[in-house]
Amino acid sequence: MSTPSTEPVVQNAVASEANALDAIAAISEGKERIMREVRKVIVGQNQVVEDVVTSFFAGGHCLITGVPGLAKTLLISSLGRALDLKFRRVQFTPDLMPADITGTEVLEEDRTTGSRNMKFRPGPVFTNILLADEINRTPPKTQAALLEAMQEHQVTVSGNTYVLEEPFFVLATQNPIEQEGTYPLPEIQQDRFMFSLIIDYLPKEEELAVVNSTTSINVTDVQTCIDGETLMAYQDIVRQTPVAEPIIRYAVELAGRSRPGEKGAPQFIKDYVSWGASIRGAHYLILGAKARAVLNGRPYVTVQDVQSVASAVLRHRIVTNFRAESEGINSEEIIRRLQETVLPPKSGL
Amino acid sequence: MSQPSTAQPNVTDKHQSQLARIKNARQAILAELGKLVVGQEEPLEQILIGMFAGGHLMLQGPPGTAKTLAIVSIAKVMNLDFKRIQFTPDLMPSDISGTEILEQDQTTGHRVTKFVQGPVFCNLIMADEINRTPPKTQAALLEVMQERQVTIGGVTHALPKPFYVMATQISMEQEGTYPLPEAQQDRFMLSIMLNYLPDDQEVEVVRQSTSARKVALERVMEGEELIEFVSAVRQVTLPPQIGQFIVDLTSATRPTVAGCPDFVKEYVSWGAGLRASQNLALAAKSAAALDGRGVVVIEDVRKVIVPVLRHRIGLSFRAEVDRVTIEQLIQKIIGITPEPKGT
Repeated sequence: MSTPSTEPVVQNAVASEANALDAIAAISEGKERIMREVRKVIVGQNQVVEDVVTSFFAGGHCLITGVPGLAKTLLISSLGRALDLKFRRVQFTPDLMPADITGTEVLEEDRTTGSRNMKFRPGPVFTNILLADEINRTPPKTQAALLEAMQEHQVTVSGNTYVLEEPFFVLATQNPIEQEGTYPLPEIQQDRFMFSLIIDYLPKEEELAVVNSTTSINVTDVQTCIDGETLMAYQDIVRQTPVAEPIIRYAVELAGRSRPGEKGAPQFIKDYVSWGASIRGAHYLILGAKARAVLNGRPYVTVQDVQSVASAVLRHRIVTNFRAESEGINSEEIIRRLQETVLPPKSGL
Repeated sequence: MSQPSTAQPNVTDKHQSQLARIKNARQAILAELGKLVVGQEEPLEQILIGMFAGGHLMLQGPPGTAKTLAIVSIAKVMNLDFKRIQFTPDLMPSDISGTEILEQDQTTGHRVTKFVQGPVFCNLIMADEINRTPPKTQAALLEVMQERQVTIGGVTHALPKPFYVMATQISMEQEGTYPLPEAQQDRFMLSIMLNYLPDDQEVEVVRQSTSARKVALERVMEGEELIEFVSAVRQVTLPPQIGQFIVDLTSATRPTVAGCPDFVKEYVSWGAGLRASQNLALAAKSAAALDGRGVVVIEDVRKVIVPVLRHRIGLSFRAEVDRVTIEQLIQKIIGITPEPKGT
């Protein structure tokens, strides 16, 4: 390793700070354009669109829970077009196999030599955005194949490793209404998703607007706003955003206080929670907050940024117990109480 | 978003003539079908509504209710390229969409992979007894339905236009069936019920089908015309108060929405989604167009409520115990939904 003198480093820091400010302005402007494009085809669902965009800029995967027919596919494929990303959808079924996701090897003949070789046929996971529809309909081994690809951004078939395209996002949906014959994702696997989002019916007037726009012949096209490469550069900028120590402590405390076994856990956590948020909870609170800050054009993270992603980050990481269920308390309510109990740093940033 | 606008006069003229052609086509098609299919006027009408709206259809009913006959005849009179797949427990996705085979080039001796089109490459595919096949194969068909293209080995092959899927289901109580998940049922625009005929019509069927008379169906329109007609249907105006009625109706089926009636909370385990509202509007537009009108009236909506909602509402266990049928429930929901004024 060389030992560079301090001077150029400082200069670089100053230069990159100016660049970073420009970049942050560009990011927040890019986000506005994306939102405008997506709103051409998607009516309402502002929170969900905002959260999915945030996860894209933070480089995380999303778990989406909602009944069928709420235009989830349209939303995600429109975002794919706005970001010039390849999009694939896989319907998960009880008989889907890991190879249906990752790909398989086939025997192929070399035209010039006549010798036969195994050739890899990439599966649908080789894309930028993968919509894994109704992931809880498929057995655990197939779920695990997807989750491995999510985590490692690569798949291994017959001992050969194939690297996925970048960026790579998984948006997995779960259908809440039919629980028969489903395989709920284990907590540990849910933990791999940055956000858990809930998509609900639209208010009547918005539903009417959708009906009017989708049953006529005006087909609006979504324009590309930024491309995948730019998005990845923006992800780096998001990660470089500084966070004040007290805010990191606040995020760590929010996640930590949700664990019933830990010292200092509030009484309601001990009463109602069987499983609290992992270290990934705190990690994604900060990463999500950084993305929120940058998307809003700010080079620093505030307490509000953390709070605005708290539900999406913690919802699937806090598992309530039987007593909570019988008293009608869900993880949403736990998160609300947690935010009342854990006090934010005084500086008020 | 887009408003039902008053279009320029020349556009309206063109639309008017399209509507007139649609109305004529409907009469001609029904007249031809009447030569071969006895009775079943209401389901046949619903099939036309679905096809002119560009939707895929689910046909239900006991065996021997002329489901296949109706579909084959429609394909003939509309001059659509028709294929039929019998769904079986061992059917694979590639049996539907197609497969790549290794082929030897006769001149060079090299082997190359070649895509062999599956039966979906047609205008109208009848998916017979779709619930007898395992989920992955069902999903393959539904994906094709939605995307109107097949991707195999990284290459995308577009399907011919127009493209319709008409699926039949055997009744759920039978063993060895794989019920379609509700998310996948939702992709069918209408669920059309064909029932046994009244006695005198049944007599007529037996007389016809055992006689020496051969009926030749005439072609009355071209399949390509359907593409134009589907777009003309979308230009039909949906008055705001009727749009409101549609949204009120769908919303009343959702047990989790605040203010829904008590009997819905009791008898419904899941309600109709956004696609129900979209398909109600589109099917009502189609019903109006088939009648030669450019504006939807409340009667058009009434005609399509049951086939649009039938497969989109899940009954609770309580409903089963109390023997409430889906049709009764839908009628009850229609009963409590305020009708738009001035229609």
